[in-house]
Amino acid sequence: MEYGAFEEKVRRTVYIDNLSPNVTEAVLRTAIDQFGTVKSIQFIPNYLGPNNLPQCALVEMKEDKEAKAVISVMTQFPFMMSGMPRPVRARAAEMEMFDDRPKKPGKEMQLRWLNPNDPDFQVANKLKYLVQNHTAESAVMLKKQLIEEEELSKKQGEALKANYKKYEMLDGVIGDETALQLARHYRKK
Amino acid sequence: MVDVENLEFKWGKKRGVGGKKRDVRFYESFTYDGEEYRLYDCVYFFKDDEPLPYIGKIIKIWENPDKTKKVKVVWFFQPHEITCYLAAEEALENELVLATGEGLGLTNINPLEAIAGKCNVVCISKDSRNRQPSIEERQLADYVFYQTFDVGQRTISDKIDEKIAGIEAKYFFNREGFLKPSADQKSGGAGKEDTIGKQIPEQPDGDMKVSLSVIHDKVAPVVQEVGSEIAGTDKKDSLSGLKSSSKIDSDVREGNKAKIDDSVKVPDEAKKINVQNFSRHDSDSNAAKALEPNVKASEDKSKLAKDSHGKVKSFLKELKTDDKLTKLGNGKLPKESSVQPPKDYKKSKKHALQSMGKLDFDRSKWFKELPWEERMKNAHEEGTLVLLQNLDPAYNSADVQDIVRQVFKETCTAKMFQRTAFSNPYYGQAFVIFKTREVAQMVVTRLDKGCLLLPNGRPLVASIANPSFPKKQSTFSGHLTLDKLKLQTQREMKEAVSTSHCSQPNTLEFDMAMEWCLLQERAECSWKKLFELQEKEYRKVKAELKSK
Repeated sequence: MEYGAFEEKVRRTVYIDNLSPNVTEAVLRTAIDQFGTVKSIQFIPNYLGPNNLPQCALVEMKEDKEAKAVISVMTQFPFMMSGMPRPVRARAAEMEMFDDRPKKPGKEMQLRWLNPNDPDFQVANKLKYLVQNHTAESAVMLKKQLIEEEELSKKQGEALKANYKKYEMLDGVIGDETALQLARHYRKK
Repeated sequence: MVDVENLEFKWGKKRGVGGKKRDVRFYESFTYDGEEYRLYDCVYFFKDDEPLPYIGKIIKIWENPDKTKKVKVVWFFQPHEITCYLAAEEALENELVLATGEGLGLTNINPLEAIAGKCNVVCISKDSRNRQPSIEERQLADYVFYQTFDVGQRTISDKIDEKIAGIEAKYFFNREGFLKPSADQKSGGAGKEDTIGKQIPEQPDGDMKVSLSVIHDKVAPVVQEVGSEIAGTDKKDSLSGLKSSSKIDSDVREGNKAKIDDSVKVPDEAKKINVQNFSRHDSDSNAAKALEPNVKASEDKSKLAKDSHGKVKSFLKELKTDDKLTKLGNGKLPKESSVQPPKDYKKSKKHALQSMGKLDFDRSKWFKELPWEERMKNAHEEGTLVLLQNLDPAYNSADVQDIVRQVFKETCTAKMFQRTAFSNPYYGQAFVIFKTREVAQMVVTRLDKGCLLLPNGRPLVASIANPSFPKKQSTFSGHLTLDKLKLQTQREMKEAVSTSHCSQPNTLEFDMAMEWCLLQERAECSWKKLFELQEKEYRKVKAELKSK
């Protein structure tokens, strides 16, 4: 693929995450087709993170206008897909999100092994250590995020249950004429 | 170039009938465009948009009740078609890989008209069942093969199964006497023709319309000279047929007398050779069957026939042998320049075929790589999967492969991670699959002990990867369900599960969604902060590097 064409493609594409594992390509396509024409969909696999990470996907639209519309609507309103109340999130896609990106033109690679006596060797080792450290940090952060999400989910689940219970009770008191009796009692009816 | 309408066609020996109404006729051979094709011959096919030919071995020939002619072929693959299973650099220059196993890509039924020509494929398998080809045979081969590719298992092997697509292995090996090794030929002499005759599958083309009267008196002696020269050098064993031609000549004359005599006045000298050419024209007739060894021999002399007939096209097929002859003939042969490269021949054939007998499959889609995940799983089990970190995020997978090739002289398959919202945009990561566990470990150790500095102050970090493969999970934190859904709001919720929509304000759903948005926003801020910090930290250390 030519680089220019690829850049076009990136502009037409929306990155969507916070997707439930139940969201399939068909579900996603139906959902986003409301905004325009979906050209292609690719789920971004997650091979390093925890298993229960929400899905992410790249949705390529026919026009970049449509991509912008998707992002704008989904930012303004919580958008539900395959469940609620956790909304999906949409952002503009970035080049590095793509699997099949072409070679960036005019890039030349110079590689060299550092001599252990080279003072840079120590620095480079430090950098290597840093990279691994940072990776670990990110992993911790991700874990923390997942815990927070779970907590919120739990909290909301309880709230919903309580709410449900309330409605059920209301339903109940009306159903078994308790409400009516009470109304009579208080001479409201 | 070639007028398709005029390509002649003739069925050879019938094998039997089949089909529900016994109205499908099976044949052992046929003649098409002046060339006889038999069962187990290898043939070329071209597809419009593919530059390289497809090569297959004919394993069934038949005519349907609606007069459509079909051939079933077992495919050979070009190494480039199965690159993910066979490294192209490991393949021989003209190597093919025979299909085996079960599944898509083993065989195809093609319109007979799609055949673009015969192909000489020699089996160089060391299998004891395989008659080892002579050096000459190898030289004359258009292609060679010794490996098979299991289309179901997708594995390469150098074993040849007992049966491939129901056809016994012997038909895939070199046939006895296909071309006799030269030692044999020397001792065997003229007595060999009978055996050769039965085995030689190739029936060169030619047609009776050609007028032999154009043959110059001069040509025959020249050819004889050339012929004996070749025979003398043992360049091509079957050329000995020339020596023994006198014996067969008489047969030929008997067998074909009527035709030859009726149509042509041949100068006596020339007759001797041309009769041999003629034997090929009548290759369907029984008389000609016995003469097939000569046919082989006469192929080499077809140069003569070509020049004398002025019928270039049909003989370009023998270009391989022609070339040899040309060399040996050392310019003695007239009109050498009229020989065209085989490519042109193929091209012209290809054009001719566009209107007839199209191939209705897309072979390029057959052996797409296994899904990356599969390959990764396999590699992980085999310990050949390596995680590379600290790559420039702008690299693509090919760049990573380049780096590995440059530094370690090893081929590998790499895949850059696709960035998500949770990956540090400053660090590029890639999975790399190596050929063996040893190579993978060597790479990791060397990168661990040493320091490979990539541009922009990035020492490469490697480790044996320990990927996690997403499992199908049914629950998703943040998507709530209730066991009993009675009330309006919940019913809406249930219905909404399969659809997607924007949340409307003033609903419980909206309020909860807002909580999620808040959480997402907060998480995003934390990520951003973290990545910024990390980058800053990295840059600080990087600044200590003397060399940039």
